[in-house]
Amino acid sequence: MKKKKFRKIDKILEIPSEICSNESKITIVGFNEVIIENFKGILEYEEYFVRIKTYIGIVNINGYGLNLKNMTNDDIKVKGKIESIEFEKMVEENNDN
Amino acid sequence: MIIKILLGYILGYLRISVEGYYIERFINLCNNKKIIIWNIKKDKNVKIYFNVSIKDFRKVAKIAKKFKCKLKIERKKGIPFLLNKYRKRKIFAILLIVVVTIIIASSNFVWNIEIKEEKGENLEKIYEDVKEAGLSIGMLKNKIDRKEIINKVCLKRDDIAWMGIEIKGTNVLISIVKSDKKPEIINQNEYCSIVAEKEGIITKINPQNGTANVKVGDVVKKGTPLINGWIEGKYTGIRYVHSRGEIEAKVWHTKSIKIPYNTTEKRETGNIQKLYSIKFNKFEINLQKRVSKFKIYGTIETENKFKLFSNFYLPISVKKTVLKEEVEEEKIYSKEQAKNLGIQQLEEELQKEIEDATKIVNKNINTYEHENDIEIYLTYEVLEKIGTKERIIF
Repeated sequence: MKKKKFRKIDKILEIPSEICSNESKITIVGFNEVIIENFKGILEYEEYFVRIKTYIGIVNINGYGLNLKNMTNDDIKVKGKIESIEFEKMVEENNDN
Repeated sequence: MIIKILLGYILGYLRISVEGYYIERFINLCNNKKIIIWNIKKDKNVKIYFNVSIKDFRKVAKIAKKFKCKLKIERKKGIPFLLNKYRKRKIFAILLIVVVTIIIASSNFVWNIEIKEEKGENLEKIYEDVKEAGLSIGMLKNKIDRKEIINKVCLKRDDIAWMGIEIKGTNVLISIVKSDKKPEIINQNEYCSIVAEKEGIITKINPQNGTANVKVGDVVKKGTPLINGWIEGKYTGIRYVHSRGEIEAKVWHTKSIKIPYNTTEKRETGNIQKLYSIKFNKFEINLQKRVSKFKIYGTIETENKFKLFSNFYLPISVKKTVLKEEVEEEKIYSKEQAKNLGIQQLEEELQKEIEDATKIVNKNINTYEHENDIEIYLTYEVLEKIGTKERIIF
């Protein structure tokens, strides 16, 4: 209930949603860079495949020579030749891997 | 991003390789414990490389131990490691500090004084006067009182119109503008007469105030009064005035030269010998033997002050002496050639002396031939104003 109240204020003040809520923002820069804000953790990491868990689901990134460039507490930058990006929407809230 | 890299370099970071299973969990745990790791790269299956700052390395090592991973430091980068490398070279560090302090300390002194006169005219003893006024080599820079020095020098010498002192690094540049000697100004109310400056024949005399003492065609010598500064009246007696008037006279400018028919002329052969020496203030060290291998030679000396940067002069200078070999050659002139040569030289000399070339009335060349040489006299007749005012002293 508290969150809802805050959301109203945030809407009035026009604060970006990735800051006030747990919704993640995915930015794709060219074909070589993906920035994911508000992520939870890394599920799998290979050179050709990165699986990142966020609060709203899982993001799969396929490509070659993928590096995790910057990693801070809540955003991550994946660099490399990206071929495809897939999303797995979370159905239930408490469905953790 | 450049700022981040620079900051990382200043604080120092490590490139680490971690080998083991559960690498994803390892990364997540690092993330949860707020350890910043960057440039993560996976190699094959079970090995990752990443960068971590020095501060967080111990935490990473702990986590790696927990997961039973193999941890290896690949590379160390940054200033802390660089300093650590040079820590054992104490003498090097001490010398570096000493050199830096010497350079900083010596930059506070004046090591070179350069005097620059306008149009390259040389003023005599100006350096001594500047030194006396309180500016000398080896002086502290902030103790120079420019205004005082300029005032002192300008008061002492009357041939300086303007003087400026500029401090550039360890170099002091004094620029001077020479002033012409002021003519004695005689007040309108004072009595004066006009006197000849030079010898000559009067061609025109036009007194405006006063009485003329000479007529046209008179020969005057230096100091002969031309217009007297008084007027004699029959009834009024002598009345003194401030005399004025125009006097023009023919003035002779004569120069002579002797040119021998047989002359020896020196000619450079093109062989050059360079000698170097190092100079500390007045103490000189020769680097080579001072004896030249040439029989006849001319010398050119140049002195270069050492400077560190563009204007940081040091009290050490390199003196370079260039010896040029010369060969004596005999040359025989004919009478005509010698005469022409002499006239040419004389004309050049006289041209400098005469201010207004349009006032030249006559040229006169006299030659006297002797056995071995020829004597040439060249005379210019020039119309000039020759009067100067002189105060009447009672």
